[in-house]
Amino acid sequence: MDKENYDFPDKDGRFGDFGGKYVSETLISALDQLEETYNKIKKDKAFLKEVKNDLETFVGRPSPLYFAQRWTENLGGAKIYLKREDLNHTGAHKINNTVGQVLLAKKMGKKRIIAETGAGQHGVATAAVAARHGLECVIFMGEEDIERQSPNVYRMKLLGAKVCAVDSGTKTLKDAMNEAMRDWVTNVDDTHYIIGSVAGPHPYPQIVRDFNSIVGIELKDQAREVFGRYPDKIIACVGGGSNAMGIFYPFLKDNSVDLIGVEAGGSGVKSGKHAAPLSDGSVGVLHGMKTYLMQDDGGQILSTHSVSAGLDYPGVGPEHSYLRDSGRVVYESATDDEALDGFHDLTKTEGIMPALETAHALAFAKKIAPNLDKEEIIVVNLSGRGDKDMANVAKVEGLSL
Amino acid sequence: MNNIEKVFESLKKNNRKALITYSVAGDPDLDSSEKIIRNFISSGVDIIEVGVPFSDPMAEGPSIQLGHERALKNNISLPNILDMCSKIKNDFPKTPIVLMGYMNNFLSLKDNLFKELKKNKIDGLIIVDLPYVESEEFLKKLNEEGIDLIRLISPTTTNERIRKILTSSSGYLYYISLKGVTGSDLKVSDELEKRVSEIKNQTNLPVVVGFGIKDAETAKKMSVCSDGVVVGSKLVDEISKHSLYKDNLLKENLMSIIGELREGIS
Repeated sequence: MDKENYDFPDKDGRFGDFGGKYVSETLISALDQLEETYNKIKKDKAFLKEVKNDLETFVGRPSPLYFAQRWTENLGGAKIYLKREDLNHTGAHKINNTVGQVLLAKKMGKKRIIAETGAGQHGVATAAVAARHGLECVIFMGEEDIERQSPNVYRMKLLGAKVCAVDSGTKTLKDAMNEAMRDWVTNVDDTHYIIGSVAGPHPYPQIVRDFNSIVGIELKDQAREVFGRYPDKIIACVGGGSNAMGIFYPFLKDNSVDLIGVEAGGSGVKSGKHAAPLSDGSVGVLHGMKTYLMQDDGGQILSTHSVSAGLDYPGVGPEHSYLRDSGRVVYESATDDEALDGFHDLTKTEGIMPALETAHALAFAKKIAPNLDKEEIIVVNLSGRGDKDMANVAKVEGLSL
Repeated sequence: MNNIEKVFESLKKNNRKALITYSVAGDPDLDSSEKIIRNFISSGVDIIEVGVPFSDPMAEGPSIQLGHERALKNNISLPNILDMCSKIKNDFPKTPIVLMGYMNNFLSLKDNLFKELKKNKIDGLIIVDLPYVESEEFLKKLNEEGIDLIRLISPTTTNERIRKILTSSSGYLYYISLKGVTGSDLKVSDELEKRVSEIKNQTNLPVVVGFGIKDAETAKKMSVCSDGVVVGSKLVDEISKHSLYKDNLLKENLMSIIGELREGIS
């Protein structure tokens, strides 16, 4: 990879061979309109000022860089810092994107917002911005996820969103995305679809990355100030991959920084019961993009397994596929058990309860930190808080609340 | 002249319009879907669209989604479907068979796809999630084997885009009647008819209309302004009511739907 000239996506919406716009003809004009509007306003000072203002006063940015001192001491190796996206309004990095996209929607004159959600974090972040701007909001969520993330379902309803249960296919995130696409194709004139990850057809992977890259941009400043240099390693969990792309992107050209994405290993990558397409998948086309997928020989998408609803997705953003093949980012996986262990570790030693998604990144940090020099610095993107997961963790561990 | 061209030429000569059916391969099982298609052809259907079931059929409404799900329960794969089509073609060589599905299933055969399609006498492909901009390489390989890539045009396609699409189209053009998924409620409007005639004015290719055509009256209206109609959800719905094709009632009901539509449009 020519790191100096990294300039993706190209004009066709591709990251190397990945990405593109594989959607039905009816959606092409909406995607073209979105692309055109985004290209026009992404350098517009007034628009950027509006986004910045919302990030500061509505989201609460910048998010702090926190030293996990006790956890570091317990592990006895590299210093672990946490980029505290869990402290954002609505409790995760997802709001960085929805704050920007809702303003885009308004610029395009759209009156209605739809979104898919897995863990519910993106649904809540979308419902919150829709409420703030007085827009109608419909969230699509798989029936299985509604069950495992019920507090977030109620939060969305309180925020005035309509939550549509999706009972087709595997009843999880991918099916919610199918259903959102079906709604969009039907209501394309007045509706903007806020995709919540760096996935889907162009220009979504770019837009969602750009809005989330505030995380990496802040980290650069904070790292210079706190360490006087960039961290040695940055670790983030990867489902669709938006929090990872957000923190990685500003560092892609900084070769001294190792970038590590952690996929959901479920019961173990070798068991086949996981959601780790970059570790154990093959290239295909789904949800408008060419990317690594979990699929069978006939091209049918496989059902995935992860303890965390937000990572339970058979695909991954196309830019991650490119970064994997180019070798700039290394992709690992953490199992359900390792993630639960990371969840408890951080909660007990630092008083911070992470989302189960985030716990996958923590699990990998825990694995490598003890073997690294004490002078090395790891930053984990603490992408979300774990309150939403309490009932699910209790259930997995055989407790009733 | 290929099969599709011949069909439309003969229809034109007789001042008739094309009746095109869509059913899902393997729904409710592979044998039954083969029998269903054979009966469609015997009842005077002009072109057969064979749905290739996909785990994530994003453009389909509930009826056809369920059809895909039923077919996938039988582990239907593209090679099975090609085999079925080849058998049908042996008996009905002149009736065009067009596979309609999603990119990921076609990609599963990799570079063998094009030869396999040719070998099994497939006349055309409709790939729902392969829009014009992504199709260049794929189109080239299909054309080398003499297979048509049937293009979709929707109510949101701009005139500029239509012109581009027309430069690399063959077979026929499929006009999506509405903004929505398959099987939605179609309201026939002057605007819809105007749009179809606008497209017809720009091309010599036949233009057929699909999505939401469920009864003889709508089929008739749509056939007046176009070169034919595609009926899918209505048939798949009927198939869903019967578990297996040995059910004679299904055969009777499907034939009566086809009969009414045929009467409506010709």
